Amino acid sequence: MRLSTSYNRVNFLTSTLTLVITGISYYLFIHSMFTDRIDRDLAVEENEIRQYTAAYRKLPLPATFLDQQVAYRTIRPGDPDRVFTYTKFYNVKMARMEPGRSLLTTVKLGDSIYQVTITKSRVEAEDLVRNILLITLAVSVVLLLVLLLINRFFFNRLWRPFYSMLTKIKSFQISSTEALQKEPTQIDEFIELHASVHAMAERVRKDYRELKNFTDNASHEMMTPLAVINLKLDSLLQTGSLSAQQAVLIEDIYLATGKLSRLHQSLLLLSKIENNLISDIQNINLSELVHLKLRQFEELLEKNELKFEYSIVDCQVQLSRFLADILLNNLISNAIRHNLKGGEIKLKLNQDTFSISNTGREMDGNSRLFDRFSKSADSEGMGLGLAISKQICNLYGFQLNYHFADDQHHFSVHFKTASENEQD
Amino acid sequence: MKILVIEDEIALLDSILEYFKGEGIICEQARDFHTAVDKVALYHYDCILLDLGLPGGEGLDVLRQLKALKKQDGVLIISARHALDDKLAGLDLGADDYLVKPFHLSELKARVSAIIRRKNFSGNHVIAFQEIDVHVSAMTVLVNQRPVALTRKEFDLLVYFLSNKDKVVSKMAIAEHLWGDEMDLSDQFDFIYTHVKNLRKKLVEAGSTDYLRSVYGIGYKFGTP
Repeated sequence: MRLSTSYNRVNFLTSTLTLVITGISYYLFIHSMFTDRIDRDLAVEENEIRQYTAAYRKLPLPATFLDQQVAYRTIRPGDPDRVFTYTKFYNVKMARMEPGRSLLTTVKLGDSIYQVTITKSRVEAEDLVRNILLITLAVSVVLLLVLLLINRFFFNRLWRPFYSMLTKIKSFQISSTEALQKEPTQIDEFIELHASVHAMAERVRKDYRELKNFTDNASHEMMTPLAVINLKLDSLLQTGSLSAQQAVLIEDIYLATGKLSRLHQSLLLLSKIENNLISDIQNINLSELVHLKLRQFEELLEKNELKFEYSIVDCQVQLSRFLADILLNNLISNAIRHNLKGGEIKLKLNQDTFSISNTGREMDGNSRLFDRFSKSADSEGMGLGLAISKQICNLYGFQLNYHFADDQHHFSVHFKTASENEQD
Repeated sequence: MKILVIEDEIALLDSILEYFKGEGIICEQARDFHTAVDKVALYHYDCILLDLGLPGGEGLDVLRQLKALKKQDGVLIISARHALDDKLAGLDLGADDYLVKPFHLSELKARVSAIIRRKNFSGNHVIAFQEIDVHVSAMTVLVNQRPVALTRKEFDLLVYFLSNKDKVVSKMAIAEHLWGDEMDLSDQFDFIYTHVKNLRKKLVEAGSTDYLRSVYGIGYKFGTP
């Protein structure tokens, strides 16, 4: 729910409730005020009748005026002594019944007691109350409408800097250097928000730059000693007076150095992907790349006597060429390395999916398959290949899935992101 | 032939100079930014090996100066940084190739030879060794003027050996050259063995002397016996 909607809802509810309660109390108050006035008039009339009766020793004539009627009758048992009631009033002139107010009282004339009924029309008072109520209602409705309009237009304008700032935060690029633009606003909260967001963005970018520098420097500092080892081994080979035993030792050092440098490069690569430091996104013709990889792995397939089936259609995907290369390398070499002798590999590439399946032994710990350094006991690799593949897919919003069925490992990469699927 | 090695790490520099000397190659060195800039401005080199991290300045600036002087020297960038930006920036600035540390001396020599061939002979160069002639751009090999049919990998291997004449080339270096450094499969050594065996057989059958020798089981040496 948007802030304005939520605010409007509360505002509207409380305003309506307040107005209704005010209206009701207003009505009750005015109504009782008018009733009081009529009752006072009735009491004055009663007083006049008593004085008349006392002075002239007879009842005044029962009279019907425009707005007042007086009637007498002898008292009956059970009649109240003095009471005000709501009654009807017959308007002679208009020939209609109107709401009235009566005072039933008693007057003593000689020995007999008469009940006197004095009735007044309430029509004017009622009209007045109704008019006042209508005006109140009308004012309330206008007030509510104005409130709504203010909320709709003024509120939206008031919050505009907030929403535009939100858009900017959403499109915030950690690697770009341009500062967040300031929104013209007089509201202190928004000025403060902008300042905080701005400071945060700068801090994040600074950390990012430091991290990038650290990554670069770490790579540089570690690769140089490795290069020295490698070159010294190359030089050692040229000396020409090595025994077979020494040669075996040198080969082992070569292999370990090679492994160390690959391990280091893999870790640096992982951190680079995680920090989104690889930016050469371009349109890659995956089918071409897959063909290239197949040539590269040709000998390995032959050597392991693997049966190889593939179907490849033209496929273009947006990603880094460097990462595309690594992704395919990892998945294909994985399928070869964890295969059985004389097993098979099926590779399929269509518009939006690359899938590869290979025969192999079922393994436990499938959930940790994409974790770093998780590998099966007989694997020669470092256990980073699939972790890197997963990271690459995460970076571009691809889906990398794995399942084991029919004695085969199935890996698939769906290039379309979830949002693109919705559009289709 | 003159080569300038710009590298601040003395251990690397020594090995490179030692490996390159001989065969009429004159090697010069520069160990910091200012020496490098001075030498680049003063002399002409067939190829410059440029390390990017230098004391006193940025390696890419040496390249910028070189290009500002409109010099045609070949440039091979050596860097420990696997950063793609650096690679692209270097190649954009006009570097001929890019090699990432750690590397093998034989790979470095092969790359430098390729740059010099491209620069000096526009690629139409024939690598001649005794009775063997290799036409690099046409990808043909003649033994005693008669063509020998080689596969792509055998051809690459032969060019690689010829760039590293009389040197011991390790199997690791060959594997990286032929398959790239992303493959770390030890069975590659079997493929190397097969490729070398086939290459040797084809050359000998065509009437060439057998110049290839296996050295201690960890590498090969191509050269006059």
